[in-house]
Amino acid sequence: MSRSLKQVAVLLVALLCLDLHSRVGSAPICAHGPSGCHVPSLADLFDRVIQHSARMHSLSNDLHSEFEQYFLPSKNHIGKIYRKCHTSSILTPNGKENAQKLAREELTEVILKLLMAWRDPLFQLHQSMAHQQDFNSFSSNKALEMGDMAHELRKGVEKVAERMRVLGMLGNSVTGLSVAEAMLPISDSGEAMSNYELLYCFRRDSNKVQNYLKILKCRIVPEHDC
Amino acid sequence: MAYSLSLGLLYLGLLCGNGLVSARSELFTPDPSRGPHFTGCRSREQETFRCWWSAGIFQNLTEPGALRVFYRTKNALSEWQECPDYTHTVKNECYFNKTFTHIWTSYCIQLRSVRENITYDETCFTVENIVHPDPPIGLNWTLLNVSRSGLHFDILVRWAPPPSADVQTGWMSLVYQVQYRVRNASHWEMLDLESGTQQSIYGLHTDKEYEVRVRCKMSAFDNFGEFGDSILVHVAQIPSKESTFPMTLVLIFGVIGLVILLVLLIFSQQQRLMVIFLPPIPAPKIKGIDPELLKNGKLDQLNSLLSSQDMYKPDFYHEDPWVEFIQLDLDDPAEKNESSDTQHLLGLSRSGSSHVLNFKSDDDSGRASCYDPEIPNPEDLASLLPGHSGRGDNLPLVSRSSLSIPDLGVQQTSEVEETPIQTQPAVPSWVNMDFYAQVSDFTPAGGVVLSPGQLNSSPEKKKEEENEKKIQFQLVSDGAYTSENTARQLSAEVPPSPGPEQEYQTFPTQAVEGNLWNGEYLVSTSDSQIPYLLPEATPAPILPPVSDYTVVQEVDAQHSLLLNPPSSQPAICPHSPNKHLPAMPTMPMGYLTPDLLGNLTP
Repeated sequence: MSRSLKQVAVLLVALLCLDLHSRVGSAPICAHGPSGCHVPSLADLFDRVIQHSARMHSLSNDLHSEFEQYFLPSKNHIGKIYRKCHTSSILTPNGKENAQKLAREELTEVILKLLMAWRDPLFQLHQSMAHQQDFNSFSSNKALEMGDMAHELRKGVEKVAERMRVLGMLGNSVTGLSVAEAMLPISDSGEAMSNYELLYCFRRDSNKVQNYLKILKCRIVPEHDC
Repeated sequence: MAYSLSLGLLYLGLLCGNGLVSARSELFTPDPSRGPHFTGCRSREQETFRCWWSAGIFQNLTEPGALRVFYRTKNALSEWQECPDYTHTVKNECYFNKTFTHIWTSYCIQLRSVRENITYDETCFTVENIVHPDPPIGLNWTLLNVSRSGLHFDILVRWAPPPSADVQTGWMSLVYQVQYRVRNASHWEMLDLESGTQQSIYGLHTDKEYEVRVRCKMSAFDNFGEFGDSILVHVAQIPSKESTFPMTLVLIFGVIGLVILLVLLIFSQQQRLMVIFLPPIPAPKIKGIDPELLKNGKLDQLNSLLSSQDMYKPDFYHEDPWVEFIQLDLDDPAEKNESSDTQHLLGLSRSGSSHVLNFKSDDDSGRASCYDPEIPNPEDLASLLPGHSGRGDNLPLVSRSSLSIPDLGVQQTSEVEETPIQTQPAVPSWVNMDFYAQVSDFTPAGGVVLSPGQLNSSPEKKKEEENEKKIQFQLVSDGAYTSENTARQLSAEVPPSPGPEQEYQTFPTQAVEGNLWNGEYLVSTSDSQIPYLLPEATPAPILPPVSDYTVVQEVDAQHSLLLNPPSSQPAICPHSPNKHLPAMPTMPMGYLTPDLLGNLTP
């Protein structure tokens, strides 16, 4: 009896210890004092992320206009063929007021969902552009860079979200973003989307991400006239 | 009155209508040839947008309500809805306010005539692609600086973003483009896109009026908005003409001063500059001999120079192949270089070897005041010559012809043996004796012409002389000697026929100074200047060529070369060389003393 008690006690202690250790997270190196490395503030983090998203959007615009110039020269500047993107199922605010009315957590989640949804399609885009002879290497490099930037942006936004959560700005309703279901870019007809459609959709979504991030920053970081 | 009033009203109405229409037609020019169509849709701030249409050629549809706009958003399956707001103030405009504007949403609008149920036009777009921002406001400029010349200036242009665009929240990120031109010019200068709200313009000209304007667009989109109002920029030029005048004067004077300095410098350093820029070509120089002396022909000085020369380079033998050498002791040809030729000739030797002339002195020979020169063997003599060892045809200077001119007719019989020349031991004064006769020239046949007035010995000599002297007597122009027989012949006989050597003359042997085996040493005569070359004056008859060489047998007290045994010339030296060298045959040839030579001169 004492023996079994002892074993149980040992086990309990072991579990407690493990639990303690598991609960102790990794502390950042620079957490202590200004003598350590420079810790960017939340505003700096937001600025970086916004800058990154602006670059990504500009890149997507370049690719899209290049594609349009060479492959669809007769396009009317007003009339755009309607395309249904694979991210249309994600509910996104369609205006400034809508975005401002949305909760921070939901806005952050929307951003992350969008970026997550484009991880595989961008890779596919780069692959198909690299294989086609129509695109020069410069364009396929741009597509590759775009995919990398989307990946990095997602990581950056996750860090921002983490920081916001640490600072208590985000409620706990935002769970660790569960991996979005694999969203294959499939058009209405069930076929895989063409390169042009992918570019068109990504251009739109990158603009969304950029604007949402700006609105989010304006709401979280107190600034003048915001 | 009423008619005029109505006309006036109509006119006014037309004007107003035209103004309105023209204002809009600047943006969208309706195509009059087409039927009813959309002329454009625009959003100013990405929150609302408007669409315009035109009736076109269908003038019966111009009244309001005849044409209607229907739209449909493609986010969800929605039906066609009519335009939410037909603008009352503006004709043919449909306005979508914030509630009806969905960004990132595809819109499709249709222009229909409800009465006829005809769709005249349809177009689709997304709102962010039709955004044309309003022009920036508050454009002004400030002067940055004016150039030193007063001709150019730089300005800083500032503006504010359009108030309708929400840039604070970041809903719209704008980039601006500044354009400027000289007033009333046709071409606008465009600057790069600027994301800030100010930009500098550099390099504007004073006294010119400039026009500056700015417009903006959304970054990463392609639609520029309209230009704002232009501003005028003008900077008056500061008159500074008087400052240029002294500047030009200063420049002119500075240039003149520089030129003067340069000229002075050149003149003062002329010699040095001449040496630097035009280096003198080195003239050929003879070591130890001043060419001026040679030109002047002052033989006394030259002879003194020559006699004072101790040194000479043995390499000279190679350079002057027609220099004849006296063959001396042939045992050590390598040691020949160590002493001078005069010493060789005279039998002196620094090294003490038997290589030079008469270095060996017979122990049993009693030497007189004048010593008997040893007559070296012809082979020994031949081997004495540097670089010519083994060559049987090599001849010494005095007695043989030129080494490199084989057609000189060097004839040397092997059986002719020359009496070695003996010199008194260690008589340094020998070096200063002149015992050479200068040769003015040499014949192609091998004869040597001495000067003055001497001719080659002819074959009409005595028979015994011919028998004895097997080697043709050769005289070289650089200072050889004549044999006594030759001299006698020259003086006594008149050559019957002028030979080819007519033109040659010999030089007197007296006062040949120096042991310098230079090619150019001269013989100084007591009486007259010796012409270097006398090719034409031949006072003496031409004699047939004599034997090739003559061996100096001894040198008498008067510093004359003894070419023959003294038996023929008892007055010269009582000593007979034959005593010392019994093996050597006596040379029939005699020698010339300076006195004799003097007699010979015509």
